[in-house]
Amino acid sequence: MTVSVAGTGWDTAAAVARPARPRRIGALGAAARWLLRTVALTVPVFLFATFLTFLLGAVSGLSPAGLLLGDSATPADVARVRAELGLDRPVLVQYVDWLAHVVRGDLGSSWLNGVSVSSQIGDRLAVSLSVAGFALLIAVVVGTLLGVGAAVWRGSLFDRAVTGFCSVVSALPPFVVAVALIVVFSVLLGWVPSAGYVPFAQDPGMWLALITLPAIALSLDAVADIARQLRTGLAGAYQENYVLGAVVRGLSPRRILLVHVLRNGAGPALSVLGLRIPMLVGGAVVTESIFGMSGFGRFAADGALRGDVPVVQGTLVVAIVVVLAANLVVDTLLLRLRPAARRRS
Amino acid sequence: MLRSVFASRTGTVSVVVLAFVALLAVVGPWLAPHDPLLQDPRAILAGPSAAHWLGTDNVGRDVLSRLLAGSTLSLVAALEAVAVGLVLGVVPALLSVHLGRAVEWLSLRLMEALVTLPFLVFAVAMTALLGNGLQQAMLAVGVLVAPGFYRVTRAAALPVATAQYVEAAVLAGASPWTVLRRHIWPKVVPAVAVSTASLLGASLVIVSSLTFLGIGITPPTPTWGGMLATDLQYLFQRPFGPFVPALLIVATVWACNGIADALRDAPTFSAERKVAARV
Repeated sequence: MTVSVAGTGWDTAAAVARPARPRRIGALGAAARWLLRTVALTVPVFLFATFLTFLLGAVSGLSPAGLLLGDSATPADVARVRAELGLDRPVLVQYVDWLAHVVRGDLGSSWLNGVSVSSQIGDRLAVSLSVAGFALLIAVVVGTLLGVGAAVWRGSLFDRAVTGFCSVVSALPPFVVAVALIVVFSVLLGWVPSAGYVPFAQDPGMWLALITLPAIALSLDAVADIARQLRTGLAGAYQENYVLGAVVRGLSPRRILLVHVLRNGAGPALSVLGLRIPMLVGGAVVTESIFGMSGFGRFAADGALRGDVPVVQGTLVVAIVVVLAANLVVDTLLLRLRPAARRRS
Repeated sequence: MLRSVFASRTGTVSVVVLAFVALLAVVGPWLAPHDPLLQDPRAILAGPSAAHWLGTDNVGRDVLSRLLAGSTLSLVAALEAVAVGLVLGVVPALLSVHLGRAVEWLSLRLMEALVTLPFLVFAVAMTALLGNGLQQAMLAVGVLVAPGFYRVTRAAALPVATAQYVEAAVLAGASPWTVLRRHIWPKVVPAVAVSTASLLGASLVIVSSLTFLGIGITPPTPTWGGMLATDLQYLFQRPFGPFVPALLIVATVWACNGIADALRDAPTFSAERKVAARV
């Protein structure tokens, strides 16, 4: 795409020192282009991902007939049940039919107990979103503090400590962190219960106590990743000429950091955050089983182990939607934060 | 290539750690003092002793023997997954560079879709629905790490494919295979080597997570992840039970990352030199 950079303001000092901001005139057109691009990239990914999800169930060879009728079912019985459920049609036809229901929010019903998958996920989503949301908050806040600190005091003891912390933490799988946290805070110190979940409305204090350990376990990896990317990005931005220009003009270090460096150096960290979100959502499977929370991830794992295909497909679809939505938010932030990203596309 | 890893201290330590773990995995089953599946009802959840160096678990099985037996399975599983990922990632990436825009678009969207899928949920779903077994688990993990290989291979191959010397080679009548082998492959190998090391660590984490959940390799077969899961249920009796399996997982993953970093930073490990030497 083409955005004109010419004309405005190379004569003013601020524009020399700062990266060029796009002109307002093209804003509406840019927004339309952005929307179009987003749709063009997101929709195929959604279709591919849901197709893979659907295919998984189709090639598994599992059918509700086996689950419903038990081992004594005759082939004729099985064929009858399969026909009733439409499982004898071509895969692509089944997929389109399934997708048509999915986009209306109907994820089918469990093969085992017949309860609607959407409502079962709805009941459990609050648990998972509490943990994942808190983990995301920790990752962003702590990761940013560590990354910015390391970049501002480059080469200091703090910088080296952050680098060391990141290298250790990136080797720690979430479930190992989770086990370690339980050993220390539940078993040895006895501060918090090792498992369970209480809704926020029921007891906010207990809610926070119970989601803290899983959230820390889930977030550590992301904290390290964000800190590392932010440090690299900011250190790179500090080398730029416009920073030198700002220093020469006598701007305060704080202003240089907030206005010039963060805006330009935070991009890679934000992209990494986008890549981390699927892992935060997926990590729920393990953390929820360790911390005995009946959330969305455990529902998925239990469904998978029992061969309950609609449950597995439903949870995957919800996870895909959450991830795509989160990526959309990150992309938008990236565009707002860094004018240069608008030009690149 | 090995020399460049040994050039850094972290790299050297990583290689030593990984060699130690690999040695455990290869000769471990012979070193094991007991049968990893043998239950001793007289020693249940026992602490370390002369007979059981690392104590026993909840049904009286020797922890050390189980760890040694588990090393083989855990490492082999991770290696298999990386091999699957290597094939599923590198081949489409090279094809995407050479076979035109349709293949490019299709493979890009497919890899994006794979990245969008929440890793563990998908691995759990795939393994369980395809029949709970080691091969299914490795296939699932391999599919999930493939985008990592795809991305780096494509990033390395793309600039070469449009470079003038490649154009010249094509004009001079070089076959696509020759171009691939002589010009693109040397550029791709270093990037893929770095990814192989770091994704081996990632695969080990996923494999351990799956076995932790009892998926892929099911009890009573010993694995590091599976042992952690059992230890977790008896934390109040043996609070330090999870320490050794966790340490083994963390050390191995750390060593893989260390080797990846050493390879990435190594100044001698650059493809340009090899290409220059040949031309």
